[in-house]
Amino acid sequence: MRVLLMSLMLSVAAVGHAQEGFPLDGTWRGQRVAGTDTPVTIVMVLGWDGKTISGLIDPGPKSIQITKAELIPEGWRVKIEAHTKSGEAISFTGAIGKLGAYDRTITGTWIEGARSYRVRMVRE
Amino acid sequence: MSSRARAPLAALAGLGAAIVAFYGAPVWTTSAAAAALGEVPPPRFSDGMVRFDRAPGEKGYWSLPSASSLIEEGVSVKMDARGRLANLADASRVAPFQPWALALYQYRQKNDFVDDPMHECIGPGNPRAMLTPGGIRIIQDRNYNRVYILYGGGNHGWRVIFLDGRKPPDPDEVVGTFYGNAVGHWEGDTLVVESIGFNTRFWFSNGGLPHTEALHLTERFSRPSHDVLRYEVTIDDPRTYTRPWKSAWTFRWVPGDIAEYYCETGRP
Repeated sequence: MRVLLMSLMLSVAAVGHAQEGFPLDGTWRGQRVAGTDTPVTIVMVLGWDGKTISGLIDPGPKSIQITKAELIPEGWRVKIEAHTKSGEAISFTGAIGKLGAYDRTITGTWIEGARSYRVRMVRE
Repeated sequence: MSSRARAPLAALAGLGAAIVAFYGAPVWTTSAAAAALGEVPPPRFSDGMVRFDRAPGEKGYWSLPSASSLIEEGVSVKMDARGRLANLADASRVAPFQPWALALYQYRQKNDFVDDPMHECIGPGNPRAMLTPGGIRIIQDRNYNRVYILYGGGNHGWRVIFLDGRKPPDPDEVVGTFYGNAVGHWEGDTLVVESIGFNTRFWFSNGGLPHTEALHLTERFSRPSHDVLRYEVTIDDPRTYTRPWKSAWTFRWVPGDIAEYYCETGRP
């Protein structure tokens, strides 16, 4: 019964709600893909305080702090910068799709060190 | 004074007497502003407090808002009943937007509000609920020091305003809602309401004006005459707008009851 209740609570928590405020606010989940490599899941949590976009990549024990993030309203372009734990530069540039939908997307290019990946993230 | 000059005054006095008879003898106090305009003053409770709802025996509610969308006070731009601008170039004049907020407002305007959450019967929230057709009632519960606002439009929602002296909740602890957490107090005949704790699941105005969870509203309700409710709202959302700004409109008193109505998908 306890397991059932917990499952129910988790499923309710997972239901997405529209977010009509700052377009980047919230949790984004997607995969980075390069060639035939196994896709790697990426999670980003972004927030806007009125002046700065801040957030984390892969929140948890191995989370990476975003050092710079920018939303450019012309074309709804997104630029995010960070560094891996080992010091490699991360640069993600993309564009928001389905701006008016709660499950809007960011599609773009993720560069980490010398490697480049295609990334598509969906807002949860 | 000539009999010709006395005639309008006599008519006004007669109208007042008729209203008193019709409404079942509520207590009326002269309102200088209403009297100066030749209008019927607002009804009052026995202790003199202005009534925002019906006097005993009366039927009516507030409707016919004089504005279709929030727009900064003093700015004049043409827009239709849904808040759609006649000229998109006027967008930047509607409110003191941050760049992202202006772009999002223009996007919604250009897309003819296709993403409006109200199309899916998501509640209009506040203060948009004060613009929806269907009318409102403002119920003063003096036993519990609360005011309830009942909405005839949107999803037929209601909100409560606490006037019992409680403090607003900690913004970091509050769970965001469509109407926020509201506390109020009286400044003379004006009800002043402070609200925080909004979610971002709704457009807070017709026309697609955006907001964030930092939204803080200060509303001022006053009833300068029996038939007029003045509503003024100050929007303070530093994540969306570059400074606080104010919008205001009036409602007219409409005889009768709010009609039953429920939102259906695709027909807000």
